[in-house]
Amino acid sequence: MTDDTAANIDEGYEARGATKTATSYRTWLFSGGWPRMDGWPAKNVHTDLEFARDSGLAARNASGAMMAGYLTELMVDTFGEGWLRNGAFSLKFIRAVGIGDRVTAMARVASKRVVGSGTGFEAEVWCENQDGDKVVVGTARVQTAGSPKGAPG
Amino acid sequence: MLMKGEAFEALEFLVTEEFNENYLHAVEDLHPRYMQTTEAGPPMVHAALLIVFSNHTRSPSFHLDPGMAAIQTHDDLAYENPGRVGRTFRVTFDVIETYEKRGRPYQVVEASIVDDRSTPVLTRRTTYTYTGGPYPGIS
Repeated sequence: MTDDTAANIDEGYEARGATKTATSYRTWLFSGGWPRMDGWPAKNVHTDLEFARDSGLAARNASGAMMAGYLTELMVDTFGEGWLRNGAFSLKFIRAVGIGDRVTAMARVASKRVVGSGTGFEAEVWCENQDGDKVVVGTARVQTAGSPKGAPG
Repeated sequence: MLMKGEAFEALEFLVTEEFNENYLHAVEDLHPRYMQTTEAGPPMVHAALLIVFSNHTRSPSFHLDPGMAAIQTHDDLAYENPGRVGRTFRVTFDVIETYEKRGRPYQVVEASIVDDRSTPVLTRRTTYTYTGGPYPGIS
């Protein structure tokens, strides 16, 4: 990490991201390919109801990669841009996110300890929908500046 | 389905400002770090773009029979460096594990992104399963 964004974060700290809405259009932007290409949006389980149903799904859903993007935003806002050099997630996708669902990325710092000359954080992370149901769960790890890259955190 | 030891064809793509902004709107994250050049360099590429373009479905050789879809179940991601707008990125996709569980196939794909200066950007180990065709649907 190259800044001191996380200097005052301790165990138990909770972070909550902005609530996002996986609208039909945003899902097309995210999963439909490049809007300037012919045939946009490309048909897949995220962009096309018929495609989703033909594939054995009940409905279109937002991409898991979109949820990982929401969580990355929360981590960068919480721990600083250094997250993009030393951050890591382990995520499990446990519930589909439907079109129009409102999703909020959340984190709770589980541990903070000295690692080399820096600090290592571990956090529980998850995304929950408008009903409070978790759709993604997992853990996040990041090391502050001064700790050797790749060292256990 | 490709098996352990096989690989999907690598993908190369250039990220322009406009292309990056498409994903900023998709995930509602219009932070200046993704739009402004700073002392550190051009704007950062949003991680969401890098993640979606390192899904194996983006490989030029990815193919599924009609009526089938790939579903992501787990993802381990390790960020190594920010991507920068204006750079071309190369993604490799190696199948590192395949298994079956409760009648459903699973495939673990390691995707690595480097830029055109050979700077490592992101490594992912993503588990996918498949629905439709010979496999049960997911409600």
